Amino acid sequence: MEHILTWLIFLPLIGMVAVLIAPSSMARGIAWMTTFITFLVSCTMFGPFLPGGAAWTGDGYGKAMQFVHQTPWIHVGNFHINWHVGLDGLSFPLIILTTLITWLSAWASWNFDHWTNNKGAKGFFALFLLLETGVLGTFASLDFFLFYIFWEVMLLPMYFLIGVWGGPRKEYAAIKFFLYTLAGSVLMLVALIAMYFASGTAMGDPGNSTFNIIDYAINAKIHDYFNDTTTKFLGWTFGRAMFVMLFIGFMIKVPLFPTHTWLPDAHVEAPTPISMILAGVLLKLGAYGFLRVCYPIFPEAGKWAAYAVATLGVINIVYGAFCCLAQTDFKRLVAYSSISHMGYVVLGTAIMTDVGFQGAMFQILAHGVSSPMCFFLVGVIYDRAHHRDLNRFGGLWLAMPKYGSLATLGFFASLGLPALCGFIGEIWVLLGTFNAGFPWAKPMAVIAAFGAILTAAYILWMIQRVYLGKKQEQYADFPDVTARETAILIPMAALAIFMGVLPKYTFDLMNGTLSDIIKVIQGS
Amino acid sequence: MQYQTALALGVVVPLASFFFLALFGPRLGKPKSSYVALLAIGISCALSTYVLVNWLKLSTPERTELTASAYRFDWGTLGSMPLTVGVKLDSLTVIMYFMVTFIAFWIHFFSIGYMEGHSDEVDHVSKYHRFFTYLSLFCFSMLGLVVSSSLLFLFIFWELVGLCSYLLIGFYFDRKYASNAAIKAFITNRVGDFGFILGMALVALYLNTLDLDLAAARFAEQFHKSAEGPAVGIFANSYTLFGFSVASLMGIGLFCGAMGKSAQFPLHVWLPDAMAGPTPVSALIHAATMVAAGVYLVARIFRLLTPEAQFFIACIGCITLTITALIAIVQTDIKKVLAYSTLSQLGYMIFGMGMGAWVAALFHLMTHAFFKAMLFLGSGQVIEGCHHEQDMRKMGGLRKKMPVTCWTFFIGVLAIAGFGLPGVEIGHVKLGLGGFFSKDEILAVAYERAFNIPELKKTDAAADDAGEHADASNANMGVASPFRLASDNQPAQHAETEHSEHDAHAHGDHAQGTPQKMAIAAKLPAIPKWMFFFPIAIAYITPFYMMRCWWMTFCGKPRDHHVYDHAHESWKMFLPLVILAGGTFFSSYQMFRPLIHDAAVIATDSSTVVAIDGEAHVLAEAGGGTMIMLNHAPGKNPHDWLKMGVGFSWLIGMGFAVLVYLRGLGLADKLKRMFGPIHTALEQKLYFDHVYDAVLVGGTVTFGFVCGLFDKIVVDGIVNMTALLGKFVGVFTGRQLDMPVKRGDWGIVDAIANGLAQTMLDIGSEIRRPQSGRIRMYVMITAGSAAVALLVVLNYHRLADGLQWLMSNVGTRVLAANGS
Repeated sequence: MEHILTWLIFLPLIGMVAVLIAPSSMARGIAWMTTFITFLVSCTMFGPFLPGGAAWTGDGYGKAMQFVHQTPWIHVGNFHINWHVGLDGLSFPLIILTTLITWLSAWASWNFDHWTNNKGAKGFFALFLLLETGVLGTFASLDFFLFYIFWEVMLLPMYFLIGVWGGPRKEYAAIKFFLYTLAGSVLMLVALIAMYFASGTAMGDPGNSTFNIIDYAINAKIHDYFNDTTTKFLGWTFGRAMFVMLFIGFMIKVPLFPTHTWLPDAHVEAPTPISMILAGVLLKLGAYGFLRVCYPIFPEAGKWAAYAVATLGVINIVYGAFCCLAQTDFKRLVAYSSISHMGYVVLGTAIMTDVGFQGAMFQILAHGVSSPMCFFLVGVIYDRAHHRDLNRFGGLWLAMPKYGSLATLGFFASLGLPALCGFIGEIWVLLGTFNAGFPWAKPMAVIAAFGAILTAAYILWMIQRVYLGKKQEQYADFPDVTARETAILIPMAALAIFMGVLPKYTFDLMNGTLSDIIKVIQGS
Repeated sequence: MQYQTALALGVVVPLASFFFLALFGPRLGKPKSSYVALLAIGISCALSTYVLVNWLKLSTPERTELTASAYRFDWGTLGSMPLTVGVKLDSLTVIMYFMVTFIAFWIHFFSIGYMEGHSDEVDHVSKYHRFFTYLSLFCFSMLGLVVSSSLLFLFIFWELVGLCSYLLIGFYFDRKYASNAAIKAFITNRVGDFGFILGMALVALYLNTLDLDLAAARFAEQFHKSAEGPAVGIFANSYTLFGFSVASLMGIGLFCGAMGKSAQFPLHVWLPDAMAGPTPVSALIHAATMVAAGVYLVARIFRLLTPEAQFFIACIGCITLTITALIAIVQTDIKKVLAYSTLSQLGYMIFGMGMGAWVAALFHLMTHAFFKAMLFLGSGQVIEGCHHEQDMRKMGGLRKKMPVTCWTFFIGVLAIAGFGLPGVEIGHVKLGLGGFFSKDEILAVAYERAFNIPELKKTDAAADDAGEHADASNANMGVASPFRLASDNQPAQHAETEHSEHDAHAHGDHAQGTPQKMAIAAKLPAIPKWMFFFPIAIAYITPFYMMRCWWMTFCGKPRDHHVYDHAHESWKMFLPLVILAGGTFFSSYQMFRPLIHDAAVIATDSSTVVAIDGEAHVLAEAGGGTMIMLNHAPGKNPHDWLKMGVGFSWLIGMGFAVLVYLRGLGLADKLKRMFGPIHTALEQKLYFDHVYDAVLVGGTVTFGFVCGLFDKIVVDGIVNMTALLGKFVGVFTGRQLDMPVKRGDWGIVDAIANGLAQTMLDIGSEIRRPQSGRIRMYVMITAGSAAVALLVVLNYHRLADGLQWLMSNVGTRVLAANGS
């Protein structure tokens, strides 16, 4: 399989066609099978990323891309858009995460027919698969234009998935999601085009303009030109202007305060599997954008903006946690906890050290495992109780003992309990921030560490309200988790433990690339 | 078998039991699942006994050799700093490990009896297996904590024991107060861990490792370099907080973790509430092992402490031991009395650690673990026997109904009261229970610090003056520069001779130790006298409230016949009591202390810190240069003073309690009325809970609520306003400016030019009500948009020209306008 990565990206699309052709009753089966096969295919790609594999050459950033498929796509005049995909230690773990979480979400959609809003199974699963293609393509793209296209491809299915199959306020949530993301992409588009032409200028020949994301970072001419503070764009320093535009585009996706309010609404209205994907995968795209685009290409601007970015990260951590304390809707609480947790990612990124990047990347993956688990746990109870009011629950651990235990595990992973995945990312980011060279870094780390107390507070309070207490009559006869639900929870639970106990194996996948990126940043 | 392998295996076995019970526990049910847990901890206990027995046979150099050669695994890297994990193999580990497994084994045994009745039921559902599942997890975490060679792993297990504590306090989670207590325990600990993390961050930053030994070595190295030349590493940082240098803050930060776990003031509030858990849990976790982990942590990081940090630790310990003992006097719940006495004893340990009484504090930890576990199990027997009655005012006279419990409990009371006959020796065996010696030794060191060491300072003043210039050069080490070792600033040999002279002089009238250690001791900050007298006063109060507890429960006349009639005891529960009572006898001076002393030789071996040995003659045998020993000059020997001062405090305190309670509660009630306001204040636990609930919890929740509102109203408000504005602009441009859509619209420009706006508007109004049936249309719209995008792309050169024009013209104009 020479172009296995390309195939991987389009596999869900093939499934989508199959869903559209086949009868409606088969839609969920096809979707399950497609996502499962996609997951298996992505698993076969582990080889080069294991220690000693081909991705470990140590030649520098972008030199050891794996499964690269580069071919001209749209070449008109000076305009070169390539089909250019490839994986390194930064994108590969995210690809695996995407295929896994999407598969589990497809499984979580298995009871589609029993949803209150279950019109058009075909449409749902077709869009679901299209979404996976969009996400995989975004993670794999090495051509900025391609990246942008996939970014947009992802936007539309998500809009419909929330807007059509969502809850009572689905229109509001969907439009909010759409407009927010669109606003971000517009800025990204401007930056994209400006960077394209600027790269031509840097190379001294418009014919050599490029959309290659890696070249932006490692081509000395382009990199120097981009990071030269005398390079101007509309009067602003070019690198900083680009950084800000891209950053805003990505921060909406993370989401960072103050552009975060679409997330709780989207989550509350979205059906469970869509919430899983949204929290587990889509939020990661923003953070991935920082690590792939913003920082390696514009390190000068990164340093310039570090204080602001770190502040936003810390606000996310603390403000998100405080907001959690005020929530009465179970799903809204988990959504705000996502906001809080993603703050660690941003803080780790902002400090631009190897520990910070490692922590940020680990937190991305850890949150990618724990938050879908939490959302699914909420979904399990929503399917039975048909409401999510925290104050009306209680005693569920007695009514559903297995579910209670799994829920405790999931929420403790989210709480950042040592030996579970959430802890590693947090502690790496905290230690990294504390030890970063910036004068403001230590106070930031102290405030962020304070956030950990709040995290414990809102999660334990939630557990008390939902799972502890006396058995309540209206929930007493709830069936415990079914085999299907257990099967969905177990992989995430196992991963949460594995990543927490032996983080080395997760770090091994990405540390090489991250240190390459750090070298690029320090080199400038 | 290698010792480290044996210890590691002993850690893993309870983990295996945990997983087994978590998966198959519900099927095994009652009582089989308890056997699994008992077997697991039994294996650990056997392994630890094996290690202990063999360890005792080794000589000190052999032990040092084993400690140094213990294996380390690579667990990960923090940036470029390797993180290793392994078994910290030294005497301290061996003895702590033995203590934990031994006590845990017997508490497992006790639990089987305790859980036989209805104690395993949560809202009338048996959670029997779950109890033992948690116990196994706890044993794993606690043993892991004990063997950890790295601060990070210590922290990981630290949090895991916290989790077990949370789960077990909230075992009866159908009761609101139990789940509240569980949350309180976890969050209070998190507050402490907040400091722990920051301390760890400082260790990582300045010492570039999280390995305990390596960190200590680098700390000492940086200190000496700083003393000789320009300050380096952590000493180069002149930042201070509340007068503490960064080096001190590192130790204090780590100690914050201990404040949480060992429930030290001001984080002591969770421990009394933690009594909501089943009584065996209170015995195991909240008396013998987990809460002592804080003391263990301080023992482990002892070499990273500066004198200021030590002083801070001693203060906290002193405050804790005083206020909690006072509160214990008025408690009427039998478990609460024990909880507060645990707090007070933990305060003693922490106080001792802060004073430098490393050996004494750990010795007290060991003896306390045995007698307090026994006391708690005794109270468990009483509570279970009395139909879950915990109020001592309803007990009384139980002596006849539960004799074994009564007398083992009495042994515990004697032990905690510090029973002993000072100065009386039979052969080489000093007469007294472990608690007597350990407390005596802590107080002896406190005496030394409060009275003898300041004198040492005075006589060393001359040497100080000589080293004044060196002190000045040290000023850049920070305001609160911890170790101003005047003589160490001189070339080493010079210091040696100078101190030898001093030493010769010192032998007569001073504490003893190597010159280097004496130099450190001479620079220790003087402790205020109250820090010596408070613990002395509490040494009289402890016997009082413990005797009060015993008397109210077991003696006098039965006060509640329902309780009395129901009372019974069972062998399953009193066998562990008898065993632990035996342990209380043997965990004494002769058995544990030499081993702990031996542990100190390695664990306090650092050239920056000094431990004070409270017992002189042992030092001479061990010959370890890591500690200084007490001043034994006539009239200066703390032990002489203490013999008279507190030697018989147990008798006086206990006697007073008997006097008060001899004739029932009448006299006590009178006293209560006499001291009305004080009694109320103590009964309300000095209002800590009230203040914390109102200020901290209330403040946090309120602020959270405000944040939630802010998010909803302000942030979302702005978003919605923007959307509304956008909509308005859209309608305005689409309808009013461009073309009339309906009556009332103006329509200024023709429809050809406004296609885009109109389309946008249409899409806008369409997508407001998306429905699955219209998917096809949306797909078409999407395709159309894609086509438009493609058109744009194909006409790239125009776009490019436009942009280039923008960049060249507008850019320069803006620049010119800015005048830059």
